[in-house]
Amino acid sequence: MKRSASSAAPAASDGLDTLGRSSGPASLILSSLADGAKHGYALTKDIESFAGVRLAPGTLYEALSRLEAHGLIEALDSQDRRRPYQLTVTGATALSSYLQAQRQVADVGLSRLARSWALT
Amino acid sequence: MIEARGETTTEATIETATEATVETTTETITGEPEAIPADIKARACGRLRWYPAAWRARYGDEFAELLAADLAERPRSLRRDADIACSGLRARLADVGLTPHAFDRGASPRARLATLACCAAAFMLAAAAMWSQLAIGVSWTHPRHAGVTQALDLMSAALLVCSVLAGLAAIRVGGSVIAAIRRGDGLRLLRPAALIATGATVLFFGAKHFENAWPGTGGHLLVHQSLVPGGVAAFGWAATMWITSYVMHPAALVAFPAGQLAWMALSPAAAGGVIAGTASLLRQLDQSPGALRFELGLARVGGAAMLLFIAGALRWLVSPEPGVMPAFHVGVIDLAALAVLALTVATASQAIRRVQPCQLA
Repeated sequence: MKRSASSAAPAASDGLDTLGRSSGPASLILSSLADGAKHGYALTKDIESFAGVRLAPGTLYEALSRLEAHGLIEALDSQDRRRPYQLTVTGATALSSYLQAQRQVADVGLSRLARSWALT
Repeated sequence: MIEARGETTTEATIETATEATVETTTETITGEPEAIPADIKARACGRLRWYPAAWRARYGDEFAELLAADLAERPRSLRRDADIACSGLRARLADVGLTPHAFDRGASPRARLATLACCAAAFMLAAAAMWSQLAIGVSWTHPRHAGVTQALDLMSAALLVCSVLAGLAAIRVGGSVIAAIRRGDGLRLLRPAALIATGATVLFFGAKHFENAWPGTGGHLLVHQSLVPGGVAAFGWAATMWITSYVMHPAALVAFPAGQLAWMALSPAAAGGVIAGTASLLRQLDQSPGALRFELGLARVGGAAMLLFIAGALRWLVSPEPGVMPAFHVGVIDLAALAVLALTVATASQAIRRVQPCQLA
């Protein structure tokens, strides 16, 4: 299962922004998979617990299929009907870039709120 | 995981993280639903019908498992049902090549080509129905408004171009079929090819048989008014009689001979067979990038010819014929046909709009 990160380096087109309407659910799915592989039901429950959002089944699988097509996640073999998915190297890199950009936006917004509105 | 280590995102850390993820795979799959009753599983499987067969083959089992667990927790949810309907519809649009294919990019050019062929066939049927009525009218009497003659000339030229392009495309696809047979890959193409051959044979000989079924469909030998031979117009009329006669004159159907009524039931089935067979063939046929490029090139020229036909039809619609001249009267069926023409052109344009050369490689 060991892969070379350099050979799987993400292209510019592999970012979450290219996923269209699935980019929102995609960031939640990738964040959920960041600590290990999960199948659909486990993903739904995990995302609900950390984000307070319950992804509907259609939305979840639409995003999963796009993420898989972009090489950001991959399906694992399974003995039963539920198929687990795990993050790929490309997916981890894309998620990291996305979250760093989000954190920058959050930091700027929070500091301005604290300065101008005394809100923290 | 990467952030928690306080490290910069480098290839090395990513690889380490991935290895760790793979190692913990079995431990981290959490969230087990309660035991799900069989009737709920059946409901979940029923909702899979929203999705196309290729999608079901790839995701069907796991999606049904998730959906069954969701149904067990929330038996009724309009939001979930709407979500499934919408995502199923989007998956179907992708399946026919109208949006990018999510999980099988290789299928996309084939699906687009199949959709294109369906649009072209629907266009040809609606166009032939409209054009043949006008051509038969002009073969009997000279229109008083020059616009009608101009319209017929435009429509005839456009249909001729479309027919030639369809013939060229059929020859190229035929070549790909022969190549597939030589590779030993022709067995799966047998069924769609048989459907096309049967439908086309029925349509051709049936239309030949019924082309002079009504007095005057072949035109008057001594009063030939247009460039279109009367026999060709009559053939077009007979092939599309189910559109004009069945839809336009439903009250008059009781007066129709039984043979014509049977033909009006058989001919749409034959046309449907040709269209379905062509779509199925194109979806299964592996064509070379050169062949796909050639066919898409034909499609682009065909799109221009389709627009020319619509321009001709519009010219006719805005050409008021003085007095009551049933041959050139614009009816509801013609407006409906025009709407079908516009819809097929729009759909065909969407099908080929996003095809990039790299997709054909």
